[in-house]
Amino acid sequence: MMNLSEALKSHEKKILALWTERTLDTYVSSGFFKKSLDPFANPVGANIREGLAQLFRLILAGADSQEFAGPLDQVIRIRAVQQFTPAQAVGPILELKWVVRQILSADKNCRELLPDLAPFDRDVDRAVLQAFDLYMECRDRLHKARIRELKSGSYILTDSGCISALIRDNLREVAQTAQTTEGSAAEKA
Amino acid sequence: MAVIKKDELARSVVEDPTLMTGSMPDKDWTEIPAVFKPGNYAYTTKPEKLEYLNSQQGVSFPNARAWNPEDEDWKLPPNWKEIIIKGLADRLDRFRSLKIFMDCCVRCGACADKCHFFLGTGDPKNMPVLRAELLRSVYRQEFTLAGKLLGKMAGGREMTVGVLKEWFMYAYQCTECRRCSVFCPYGIDTAEITMMLRELLHLVGCGINWAMEPVSNSNRTGNHMGLTPQAFKGNVEFLCDDIENLTGVRVNPTFNRKGAEVLFITPSADVFAEPGIFTCMGYMLLFEAIGLDYTWSTYASEGGNFGLFTSNEMMKKLNAKMYAEAKRLGVKWILGGECGHMWRVIHQYMDTMNGPTDFLEVPKSPATGTVFENAASTKMVHISEFTADLIKHGKIKLDKSRNAHVKATFHDSCNPARAMGMLEEPRYILNNVLEQWYEMPENTIREKTFCCGSGTALNTEEIMELRMRAGLPRANAVKHVYDKHGINTLACVCAIDRATLSTLMDYWIPGVSVAGVSELVGNALVIEGENRQELTEGLRTLL
Repeated sequence: MMNLSEALKSHEKKILALWTERTLDTYVSSGFFKKSLDPFANPVGANIREGLAQLFRLILAGADSQEFAGPLDQVIRIRAVQQFTPAQAVGPILELKWVVRQILSADKNCRELLPDLAPFDRDVDRAVLQAFDLYMECRDRLHKARIRELKSGSYILTDSGCISALIRDNLREVAQTAQTTEGSAAEKA
Repeated sequence: MAVIKKDELARSVVEDPTLMTGSMPDKDWTEIPAVFKPGNYAYTTKPEKLEYLNSQQGVSFPNARAWNPEDEDWKLPPNWKEIIIKGLADRLDRFRSLKIFMDCCVRCGACADKCHFFLGTGDPKNMPVLRAELLRSVYRQEFTLAGKLLGKMAGGREMTVGVLKEWFMYAYQCTECRRCSVFCPYGIDTAEITMMLRELLHLVGCGINWAMEPVSNSNRTGNHMGLTPQAFKGNVEFLCDDIENLTGVRVNPTFNRKGAEVLFITPSADVFAEPGIFTCMGYMLLFEAIGLDYTWSTYASEGGNFGLFTSNEMMKKLNAKMYAEAKRLGVKWILGGECGHMWRVIHQYMDTMNGPTDFLEVPKSPATGTVFENAASTKMVHISEFTADLIKHGKIKLDKSRNAHVKATFHDSCNPARAMGMLEEPRYILNNVLEQWYEMPENTIREKTFCCGSGTALNTEEIMELRMRAGLPRANAVKHVYDKHGINTLACVCAIDRATLSTLMDYWIPGVSVAGVSELVGNALVIEGENRQELTEGLRTLL
């Protein structure tokens, strides 16, 4: 009889197909995202497909969860700027549990393995927590970019003149203050 | 069947695929309303900006008011529908292209998956064919016999407030980049459909501030930021000081000088904002190296023309200013800096709107004697065309090792690539100033280039997420060369690109910076009498 790892490996194709399909179904018009395999013509579809596949293989191989970062980034960086709630953005990672159960229970030789899924589930949990960290990092980066653009925005440029000039004025002021301080020190002496 | 260990597992998570949205459309697209939420629309025009513009000659921007897209009531004028239908009739009459574009689409779908907004969002209304259908359906209903008789059955649709809201949503989720047009077998210019949608919306006072404030500023002081002539001149002079500190070369540009051979016009962002200022230093070093007889204008102090994103009349007026200055100063021809849409206006609309420019001469490079026949009509030459010609004739000395810190790829900015067909010149320059640079994949460059995602006045921070998803196809291709070749610089020839791609890179591929091609030229230039510091970062080096 197959063990769980063998079962997951032998059903890899089906699992990935269903997982990718369900994830891409979260887009309103997903036909093209599912169909086109060109990574440059179809960045959402191709990155999600590749990211999920890699993540699944890493979990199967018992990889250290640190290694999940790359494939998770491929999926989450995209979903963090699309119109999803945080839960919807990271949801597809968790969905793997459901997908695996669907596929395994459809095969009568594999049904008995379902109770053995606990360690697999824990890996998925680790991945989803990491995905949430990544989601927050992406959002944080976005807000910082927004602040940076605001700060370099028109009001600064129109109301306070050239940055080079400000730096130069500042240096001049510092130099003058230093001179004055030296001067008064000399006077005291 | 085995029983799942429920105590170990969160039952809801395991058994229900509930966290997924499963947002497959269950309704016809005409029945899905546009919903405005913070982050998915750009702020509306400040009433005072619109009132000022409406008071100006040659343009009309009525119905100024404070309104919020999230509100049910947009405070539209009572006869708004009549205004829109009349406005559409007027435009169908004036613009033959619009009439053709309304009639000739066969909905083959070739454009559908070519739009960066669609590719980043998966929203079907961002398919160019469907975006155009937002207008086309109203056109059918009101202006075709079949539509008048059969209505919905003939693809017609009543003009309602809901339709107007949809227009506002999707006319501002298009950057008029024209990538879709490349794939259209009929050559439908979907950008012009967006332009018409925006014009119609302006008739009822619906526009966005990020477009209209720069337009208003440009109309008033000559540039987007509203910089006064003194401030503009001051900023250029500070850059001259920086150039001297870095290279030991003192450049002494002139302003509003009558009788100069060439008028130089560039986007104002090159004069005051990073990383454009380094590109600007590059221009000035190049002009110094060949002793070009040129002047800046503190009135035509903006290459950008947000009128293109607003209305025909506004575009015409802002474009006319450049030629009025050329005439007033008595120059022979105009040299243009690294701008995107300025070149689209010049190549596609200028001649019809403000030509002929018979008071100028066909541009001739004083250094090489090359006559730019391609600019025989507009009298305006692109800095990359000009630079490539100098290099070709060996008129400038370049040291590639001065760009040793740069490992670049090149982004074809939409307008220079698709609207003026300038594909080879920037590449020729890069070959001559860089040790190595790498192309992105074939279907993402040249005439198939992907937009930065923030053009046509969408480069505002309140729609940051929208910009990031629209910019994904571009960033995704940059990521490919970053992973494969370790590039650290994205070179381009557009000021909006320089601003927006910097933010885009920061999100998608931190560590990649954005540089104008002329900045890289400036880095590599060897100038007689220079006293160059050790510039490990080129013109960006902090001394």
